[in-house]
Amino acid sequence: MYDKEKKLIDAYMAGSMSRRSLIRGLGSLGVTAATAGVLVNAAATRALAQNGFDWKKHSGTTVKLLLNKHPYADALIANLDNFKELTGMDVEYDVFPEDVYFDKVTAALSSGSTEYDAFMTGAYMTWTYGPAGWVDDLNEYIMDDSKTNPDYNWEDVLEGVRKSCAWNGRPGGALGSDDAKQWCIPLAYEQNNLTYNKRVFDSAGLSVPGNIDELVETAAAAKAAMDGGYGIGVRGSRSWATIHPGFLSGYANFGQKDLNVSDDGKLSAAMNTDVSKDYHAKWVKMIQDSGAPDWSTHTWYQVGTDVGAGKSAMMFDADILGYFMNGGTAEAGNLAFAPFAANPDAAAPTPNIWIWAMSMASASTKKDATWYFMQWVTGPEHDLFGAREMDLVNPARSSVWADEMFRDKLSKSYPGYVEMHDLSAPGASIKFTAQPLFFDLTTEWAASMQKMVAGEVPVDEGLDQLAASVDSQLKDAGLG
Amino acid sequence: MDTQSTLEKVLRGIAITAVILFFMFPIFWIFLMSFQTNETILRVPPSIVFEPTLTNYKALITGRLESTAGALEIEFMSNLFNSAYLSTMAVIVGLILGVPAAYAFGRLKFRGSEDIAFTLLSFRFAPPLLVLLPLTIYFQQIGLANTYFGLIWVYQLIVLPLILWIVRGYFEDIPADIEYAYRIAGHGFWATFRKIALPLAMPGIAAAGLLAFIFAWNNFIFALVLASADKQPVTVGALAFVTASGIQYGQIAAGIVLSILPTLALALYAQRYLVEGLSLGAVKG
Amino acid sequence: MADIAGPPRRRGLRISRGWLPYVLSLPALLACIGILIPFFTAVAYSLQRYRLSQPWAHKWNWGENYLNFMSDPSFWNTLRVSMTYAFLTVGLELLLGLGIALLLQKRTRFNNFVSIMLLMPLMTAPALASLMWKLMTNPGFGILSYFAALIGLEDFRWASSPQTAMLTVVLVDMWVYTPFIMILLLAGLRSLPQQPFEAAALDGVPRLFVFWRITLPMLTPFLLTAVLFRVIESIQQFDIIYAMTQGGPGDKLTVFQVEAYLNFFQSTNVGRSAALLMILWVITYILSTIFIKQWLKLRERQRGET
Repeated sequence: MYDKEKKLIDAYMAGSMSRRSLIRGLGSLGVTAATAGVLVNAAATRALAQNGFDWKKHSGTTVKLLLNKHPYADALIANLDNFKELTGMDVEYDVFPEDVYFDKVTAALSSGSTEYDAFMTGAYMTWTYGPAGWVDDLNEYIMDDSKTNPDYNWEDVLEGVRKSCAWNGRPGGALGSDDAKQWCIPLAYEQNNLTYNKRVFDSAGLSVPGNIDELVETAAAAKAAMDGGYGIGVRGSRSWATIHPGFLSGYANFGQKDLNVSDDGKLSAAMNTDVSKDYHAKWVKMIQDSGAPDWSTHTWYQVGTDVGAGKSAMMFDADILGYFMNGGTAEAGNLAFAPFAANPDAAAPTPNIWIWAMSMASASTKKDATWYFMQWVTGPEHDLFGAREMDLVNPARSSVWADEMFRDKLSKSYPGYVEMHDLSAPGASIKFTAQPLFFDLTTEWAASMQKMVAGEVPVDEGLDQLAASVDSQLKDAGLG
Repeated sequence: MDTQSTLEKVLRGIAITAVILFFMFPIFWIFLMSFQTNETILRVPPSIVFEPTLTNYKALITGRLESTAGALEIEFMSNLFNSAYLSTMAVIVGLILGVPAAYAFGRLKFRGSEDIAFTLLSFRFAPPLLVLLPLTIYFQQIGLANTYFGLIWVYQLIVLPLILWIVRGYFEDIPADIEYAYRIAGHGFWATFRKIALPLAMPGIAAAGLLAFIFAWNNFIFALVLASADKQPVTVGALAFVTASGIQYGQIAAGIVLSILPTLALALYAQRYLVEGLSLGAVKG
Repeated sequence: MADIAGPPRRRGLRISRGWLPYVLSLPALLACIGILIPFFTAVAYSLQRYRLSQPWAHKWNWGENYLNFMSDPSFWNTLRVSMTYAFLTVGLELLLGLGIALLLQKRTRFNNFVSIMLLMPLMTAPALASLMWKLMTNPGFGILSYFAALIGLEDFRWASSPQTAMLTVVLVDMWVYTPFIMILLLAGLRSLPQQPFEAAALDGVPRLFVFWRITLPMLTPFLLTAVLFRVIESIQQFDIIYAMTQGGPGDKLTVFQVEAYLNFFQSTNVGRSAALLMILWVITYILSTIFIKQWLKLRERQRGET
């Protein structure tokens, strides 16, 4: 880097210069705004280099990553040069499309491949990877001062998110318990709330629903007001992914659980209670009356695309999906965000969350070097860079959420987003019971919901059948 | 056979039109889609009036898509190369292994020939997933994971049985007289095989090779499970246009069009062999 | 014709070069034989209680995975759905493919061109073809949904409704694979000797009779080859169904390979996945053997006749 630019940026870092004048100053030197972002972070990286930690210890080592095609991965790749400069290490990566990403991860890990040292994952997946012995407990690294730099600040990572990535491996064991192992470290996470089309809501005179009954009504009213579109987008494909976003967030708001854990650690189905049946019935009716006609094939991208294209009036899904659909789409700028508590008696929303995290492969042959990468990519500097300059929403660190520049950026283009986040964050965590049959049971849950929506089985009967099947599978697996 | 009534001609015409519509319309529609932006594709109701754009193809070929969400890297051309390389090599290896074997089964009846032929064909019976999963572990251990060589070998499961079956029938049906005459004239076995048998069977070999190429090209799961990102074929690559920041319908369409073109070119080139070659050697005689 | 020069010389070849056919077929055999190792490993998996997410419970349970299928309604559903799918697709494709082949039988430039063009769906990878059909059946901007509405089928839900899901995936399968059958049968039709047809025409035999009594029997080896390869592919269907519905809605389309794929990649239940695939293998083996036996018999008989 040239000296002039370096000086400008260091002045900015020292606080003697505003961001705008920095960008202007850099602009006069022929540096574009996007590049400026990376350069600013280069300065942050230089600061990091001076914190007394031996960053160059693994200089010359190459680590290889397995990444999902996602804006989070884009943010990581955009900032990679700074890591290379900081450590003298090299980083290679493979990016796979999301449709096949987890199958690729399973194939690589189950074959004992040593190719990938670290990879992106969701927290649910580590409930398989951890017990299978494919990923390492990262507590061993986080807690080791000789391996982790003094500015890492683990406590800065949001507690609900951090704990949702930790499990003791016992079926039904509470997430984040004292004996839990840290199977992965969050990069960013998603809360499930409402994203609605303000244009449609305003013209039809609709107000933002405040509980499940209002949601059902508003969806129906919105459908009537839409010309050819539909009221509400929620996922419906035959997959675990149908259960975990809006549906489970509302379900948990009624204090409902997927499974009961008895004192002696036995698991049993909990989805056929009266409250659950009532909630399911409303949910199913909402889809039948005002959901997408092809709901049963909808996964996150159809749900998102439709709200972005103005085909649906709202969606109850990941907040970041709303964030992405508010730019570059037909309805860009028209989307607004609202926290949503399904239970009228609940004090606040309780969103179930999805976490994109990094795990370390147990088969890796250079774990210490890999940890250097992992502590950098999940550290405060990269999180801040991603949040400010790229699309790393929602960052998993409280220091980043406190950053004014990031909050301003969000509030300017996405009114209400920050408020929504702050309001629902305290109740945000994974609401599933961690256990080895997670994917079996949630897939079956989704399949029986498809049958209920298609009218092939009444809701209460369907849930009783589901519970019976879940119990027998748990018993077969020695868990029930 | 040539006593067609007018009515029959009309009916035939209608039938042919219907067939062409059913099979060609989807291709035509995707072709149109590949020249549209997401915005025009998503219009309701759909319409064939639009301003054509080359952005999708440009993005695929240059490997960069500029959108409001920022620049997106696209590896599609290398996916296309992988598909071409893997399928071509798989078919070449399949022919080298398969044609002599097919000749042995078709021409030189020998003890156990039917059994060996059946065994070879039966490798096709195993569901791909069944062998694929343990194979990932063995590939890891013997260092074949993530190599073109390993993939080409696994592709033999698709191409070899097809080649064997078709070429064998062809050898059985072409008369052996010429070969014997040539042999009697004092030429050795290999010379006969190379100079007489192979050229005679060329249409069958070409047709079998083309079909095998198509099936290898269409494969999806082998490379996904066995190789890293830089060796993935178009079938996997085309899924990369579905990301959290939106689906690029136009590029999916352009990707599909580009992925059909190489095979189509090959088919057009080999068309005179195709039908004749599949007829299992019913040449004059 | 071949038989005139055949037997004595063939024997001559065999005596002088008895090892030759083995040398010729050995490389192909060797290339494939390696597959037996993972195959037997899979057999072993199918006899184990083996879930990757519960390594502590990993043990041999011998036939238990198979026995469990007996009382497992989802297994019987899988079996039924797979058989229905295979029967429908192969049957319909055979009829349609034969029809098209008959239409294009005459060697004209137009017919030749059309037959190559009709191969284009076959050149579209099933995974991508499903993507195309998903776009075209989208209820909003999908052109087929639009056409359906035009002819009065308002709100036709294609793959997302339990009533029409099977129909939709069968339609996609037909679109992709009918050309395969068509091209094989076209080749067969064009290779048939002309004399019987000329004789029948001279005698004024009705065309329908000619078709049933002459064309069809002579075409049978080609039909068998086409059906053999299609049955294997169809009963092992994965790409189209997985891409269109992942086996849904409900359990309407959970065919063997989709179910086994989910069992392995999502549930990491290796034991059940392998056992499912073994059963699929047995079914494929039996069906294929029947077809191959028939094929060999037919060819022997035909050779005897000429």
